[in-house]
Amino acid sequence: MTDLTQPRPATTPVRRSSGLFGIDLASPRHAKKLGYLLLTPAVLLILGILVYPMLLAIEISFHDVKFASLTFGASEYTLDNYIKLFTSRDFWNAIGVSARLLIVVTTISMLVGLGSALLVNQQFRGRGVARMLIALPWAIPEVVAVITWLWILDSSFGVLNWMLMQVGLIGLPVSWLNQPLPAFTAVTMVMVWKGFPFISIMILAGLQSIPEEYYQAARVDGANVWRRFIWITLPCLMPVLGVSLVLTVLWVFRDFSIINVLTGGGPIGATETLAIMTYEEAFQYFRMGYASALGVVTLIICALISAFLVKKTSHAVF
Amino acid sequence: MRLARTIAALLIAGTIALPGIAAAETRLNFVSWQKGEVGYGDWWQAVIDEFEKTHPDVKIDFTLMPRDGYSDAMITQFAAGSAPDIVHLTSFEYVTFADNGWLEDLGPWIVKSGMDLHGWAGQDVCEWDGKTQCIMMLYFGYIMAYNEQILQEAGISAPPTTWEEFLAAARATTIDRDGDGVKDVYGTGVHMVSANSGWTNDMLIYALSAGGRWTNSEGKVIINTPETIEGINRWRTLVDEGLVPPGGAELDQLFIEGKVAMRLNGPWVNAFVQKADPAIKPHLKYAASPMQPPLGGASNVLTLAAETPQEKKELAWEFIQLSTSQKFQELYSELGASPAPRPGAVGPAAFEKVPHMQLLIDATNAASAAGVDRMPKGLEAQNNEFTKIAAEHFQRMVIEKLPTEQVAAEVQAAAEALQ
Repeated sequence: MTDLTQPRPATTPVRRSSGLFGIDLASPRHAKKLGYLLLTPAVLLILGILVYPMLLAIEISFHDVKFASLTFGASEYTLDNYIKLFTSRDFWNAIGVSARLLIVVTTISMLVGLGSALLVNQQFRGRGVARMLIALPWAIPEVVAVITWLWILDSSFGVLNWMLMQVGLIGLPVSWLNQPLPAFTAVTMVMVWKGFPFISIMILAGLQSIPEEYYQAARVDGANVWRRFIWITLPCLMPVLGVSLVLTVLWVFRDFSIINVLTGGGPIGATETLAIMTYEEAFQYFRMGYASALGVVTLIICALISAFLVKKTSHAVF
Repeated sequence: MRLARTIAALLIAGTIALPGIAAAETRLNFVSWQKGEVGYGDWWQAVIDEFEKTHPDVKIDFTLMPRDGYSDAMITQFAAGSAPDIVHLTSFEYVTFADNGWLEDLGPWIVKSGMDLHGWAGQDVCEWDGKTQCIMMLYFGYIMAYNEQILQEAGISAPPTTWEEFLAAARATTIDRDGDGVKDVYGTGVHMVSANSGWTNDMLIYALSAGGRWTNSEGKVIINTPETIEGINRWRTLVDEGLVPPGGAELDQLFIEGKVAMRLNGPWVNAFVQKADPAIKPHLKYAASPMQPPLGGASNVLTLAAETPQEKKELAWEFIQLSTSQKFQELYSELGASPAPRPGAVGPAAFEKVPHMQLLIDATNAASAAGVDRMPKGLEAQNNEFTKIAAEHFQRMVIEKLPTEQVAAEVQAAAEALQ
């Protein structure tokens, strides 16, 4: 039997940390302070690499400068860049091209991504290889992939023209990159090829998270494949589709390297998006103030589209 | 206490010794797109090795920056106040830097060091705003590379020497071998893709052959003159008749693959020819360009940044002096397979290594004598914008089949507005 009256052995007193600047951050009273402290490095980093350049770009857009300095208020403020921008035919052409590309590439990418995800979600031999092949374009560095496409699309000796002629779809080689409509088609094709795997992977992950019981219950109720897709698959996929849509839209809107390498925005402005125009103004014509104004407008458009899509898709989900 | 004393002693010793150690090795930054290139890259490395041998306390940090995006990166470096100590630029982009006051006036350096630039090919291009802004590293003239076998198959025994002969040869060598409606060989090639200087350079070849050009020696725009219009029409004939690959890209590659019979280009075409398949390479020959005067011009320049500290400027200037010395200019001709700009810089070794060296020299002299440069006088600071505007107009001309006179007048007006 244990002697409860026995005195307890002396224990070493716990040494409490004096904490940072004498504040004990472990105490519940200072829990918030610890949180802010831990967030500080990330916030400072974001301020330094995102907010400061953004504010600087906005500031530069109000100056008529060729080369920008990294200080605020270096020269006289003016609205000239914005006036010139909104009265420029090139700007409205770039808006039109960006919008067309956005609609076409996003729609096709979403459909192909959804279709391919549904395909590789089925049980069949070689499914692993099929999944890998679908992900492949996404894994290849963008510029490397586009240079390969340049050869494929070459109007004189490219394999695409050869294939289309072999199957009788065209009688003469198509000048893919120096005629307006074929150039736009070529850019669309390459962007879809590069962009759909990401959507496909996202949707595949979404498909695998749908409980099988939903489908079993629907089968018991006599729902056919199409109804199961409409009433179970699509609603369950909405969160994934929403995120994929927002990310794809932003990617298409901002993408530069595919268009720059393939067509450089040509021919005669047929593929000149806002991103290409901004680059040209900044680094070809060295009009940093004007280019910053373009960047600011692009930023506002992206923010509006994102806000709209996030609102729409979040309503659809919840 | 003892530990504190030891640390203090170490700190004092470090404070005294470190600047000394740092002074023992000065580092000069040198950025170029030619690092690692066979020929020009080898030459730069030879200059660096010699410089470091004669300056044991100086190291040169030679960094590769790809040509695509080179001027973007350099502008960013200059704008951020961290320009390289030795500045290497293309001749058509240096004016942007000079115009912004970023480059050192080399005039006093040239006078002080006694450098003789008399007869230096293309050096006048480096004069901007009344100052010597750079030292020309390459001035060249275009030559013609041709596939002798294709020409002979088409019944042409000698390379063409005039526009008429060239056109006839281009027609004869544009061949559909298997009759499937797709041409297997094109007579020649012109740049047809992105609206950039590739368009204006190629069109200028033909404009010069007809006595025209974009601007005259006073910088007046002369695009809508009968001579320039005739030149544009010559270029247009090749395009409209389908004598050039419609893709208009990677023309040098198509040439060495035997898919283009004649190629008008600068000395660097030789680098492609060296990579040709052994079955094709023996048939690839050189001749003077049938378009006279040949297109030519300045290629790349060396200079100093205005903001570089004086001590480093002096070292960087010594580097420039070494690279422009007789010894290294001769080596440039030999390794670069193109005549260096210094008069008398092509030695026997270069002639031995580059059998067509005399052609290159003649082309350079012909272009120089005619005052030809790819960068139009009077539009130097607006060159990028001019080439883009002109190329887009000419693209539209081909696509929408517009009259040459109308488009030439539009480009004339646009170029005048830029000045």
